[in-house]
Amino acid sequence: MTMEQQQREEEKKPQTSENDKDEKVVQFLDSLNDYLTLMDSLSSALRQGWLELASARHSMGSWRINSATLDHKFHSASTTLQLSSPDDSNSNTNQPHFTLRKWESCDDEDFQSKEVKLDEDEVQKNSDDVQVQKERSKSLLVFGALVSPKLRDAQLSFETALETLVDIANRRSVMLSAYDHVREEILGTKQ
Amino acid sequence: MYGFEAMTFNVHSGYLEAIVRGYRSGLLTAADYNNLCQCETLDDIKMHLSATEYGPYLQNEPSPLHTTTIVEKCTLKLVDEYKHMLCQATEPLSTFLEYITYGHMIDNVVLIVTGTLHERDVQELLEKCHPLGMFDSIATLAVAQNMRELYRLVLVDTPLAPYFSECITSEDLDDMNIEIMRNTLYKAYLEDFYRFCKKLGGATAEIMSDLLSFEADRRAVNITINSIGTELTREDRKNLYSSFGLLYPYGHEELAACEDIDQVRAVMEKYPPYQSIFSKLSYGESQMLDKAFYEEEVKRLCLSFEQQFHFGVFFAYMRLKEQEIRNLMWISECVAQNQKSRVHDSVVFIF
Repeated sequence: MTMEQQQREEEKKPQTSENDKDEKVVQFLDSLNDYLTLMDSLSSALRQGWLELASARHSMGSWRINSATLDHKFHSASTTLQLSSPDDSNSNTNQPHFTLRKWESCDDEDFQSKEVKLDEDEVQKNSDDVQVQKERSKSLLVFGALVSPKLRDAQLSFETALETLVDIANRRSVMLSAYDHVREEILGTKQ
Repeated sequence: MYGFEAMTFNVHSGYLEAIVRGYRSGLLTAADYNNLCQCETLDDIKMHLSATEYGPYLQNEPSPLHTTTIVEKCTLKLVDEYKHMLCQATEPLSTFLEYITYGHMIDNVVLIVTGTLHERDVQELLEKCHPLGMFDSIATLAVAQNMRELYRLVLVDTPLAPYFSECITSEDLDDMNIEIMRNTLYKAYLEDFYRFCKKLGGATAEIMSDLLSFEADRRAVNITINSIGTELTREDRKNLYSSFGLLYPYGHEELAACEDIDQVRAVMEKYPPYQSIFSKLSYGESQMLDKAFYEEEVKRLCLSFEQQFHFGVFFAYMRLKEQEIRNLMWISECVAQNQKSRVHDSVVFIF
C-alpha cells in the first residue's frame, strides 16, 4: 500500500466510527420514542378499560360487578409470562425477552392438531379464535353467564393493556441495551 | 277515572301518596346534575350533595371518598324512605311495596350463592348485598349445594318460594345454572307481580301493566343481547322471556333467533313504542341502548305521577330514585377517573 492510500485509510477510520456512534444514538432515540409511544398507548388502554368497567357496572348493577364475586378457588392461570434471559441456550438475543402466552388452556391436546396440513391452516386459525372466545367468556363467568357487551369490551381493553405492558418491558430492555452501547461509545471516544 | 278510587283511596293510602309525592319533589333536577357534572373531585360532589336531601347521609363520611361510598349512602336514604312507607302501609299497599323489593332479594340470593361457590367469606358477601333485598335467613344460603337444598333449607320460608317451582333441580350449582336460576326467578317474580297488579284493578292495574310490560320487554332485549355468542341455546333463551309484554309472543320468537345486534334492531323496530329507542342508535352499536331504555323508562315513570289514587306512584318513585343513584354513580366514576367529557354518556335527567 502506498503512503497516500495508507493516509486515506487512516482518514476513513474516525469517520466510520463517527457513523457507528451516530447509528447507535439514533437506535437509542428510536427505542426511546417507541417506549414513550407504548407508555401512551398503555395509558389510553387502561383509561378506556376502567371507563368501560364503570359503564358495565352502570348497566348490570354494582351488586353484580364487584370484587366479592371474584373466584378464590385454586385455578391455573389462563395467561402466563415467559422470560428468556441472555444466558438461555434457546435465546437468540443478548437481552432479556418477555413473551406473553394468553389463554393457555387453548394449548390443550384436545384442541391442538399435531399434524397440521398447509390447507388446514385457515381452519385451525378459526378454531383457535373460537377457543379464545370461549376462554374469554369463561373468565367472565364470575360475574354471571349473561354479561353486558360493555364488560366484554372492558376485558378486551385490559387484555390490550397487558400486551402493551409486555411490549413496554421488551422495548425497555432494548432501550437500556442501546443506552449501554451509546455510553460505551462515548467513554471510548473520551479515552 | 276507572272506578270509584277517588272516594275510598285516601282512607287507607292518602297519607302515603302524599308522602311519596313529597319524596318525588326531592329528586335532583337538571340544574343539580349540571353542578355535579362540573365537579373536579369526589369531595366537590359531596359538597354539592350536602345541599340536597342526601346531605345528612354523606356529611360524616371522611375523605378520601370512594364512588362505592357515595352509592351506599345514597341507597341508605332510599331504604329509609321505603321502610317509612312500608311501616305505615296497610293491605294491599303493604304487599305491593314488598313486591317492589323481590327483585333485589333475587339479586342477593344469587350473590350469596355465587360468592359461596367461589369460596368467598359469607360476611363479606352480606356486606355487598342490597339492603332492600335482605331477609332473616339469608346467611344460611351458604350451606346449600344445589337448588333443591337452597329451596328446602332457606327459601321455602321466604317470599321467593313460589318462584322456585320452575327451577328446582338436584344439579350442583355452577355459574351457568346460577344465571339460569337468576333469570327464571326474575321471570316468575315479574309475572306474579303483573298478576297481582291486574287483580288490584283500576288505575293501578292500568299503569302498572304498562310499566311492568316495558320492564319485561327490556329484559327480553337485554337477555338476547347478553346471550349472543354464548352457549345459551335458542330454546333456553326463549324460556327466560316473561309471558307478557308487548313483545309476547311473536316478538319473543324472533328475538330468540337473533344472532347479532342488527337482527335485534330489525325485530324491535316493528313495534312503534321501541322504534324511537332504536332510532337513536347507529347500526351495529349497542353502547347507547341502555341509556335509551332508561330515558324511555323515566318518561313513563314520570307520567304515572300525572294521575292520582293508584299505587303506581310508589313503584315509579322507587325506580326513579334508583335511576338517580345510577346517575350519581356514573358522575362519580367520571369525576374520579378524570373523564368528565364522557359524563353525559349515561346520565338520564329526570326533570
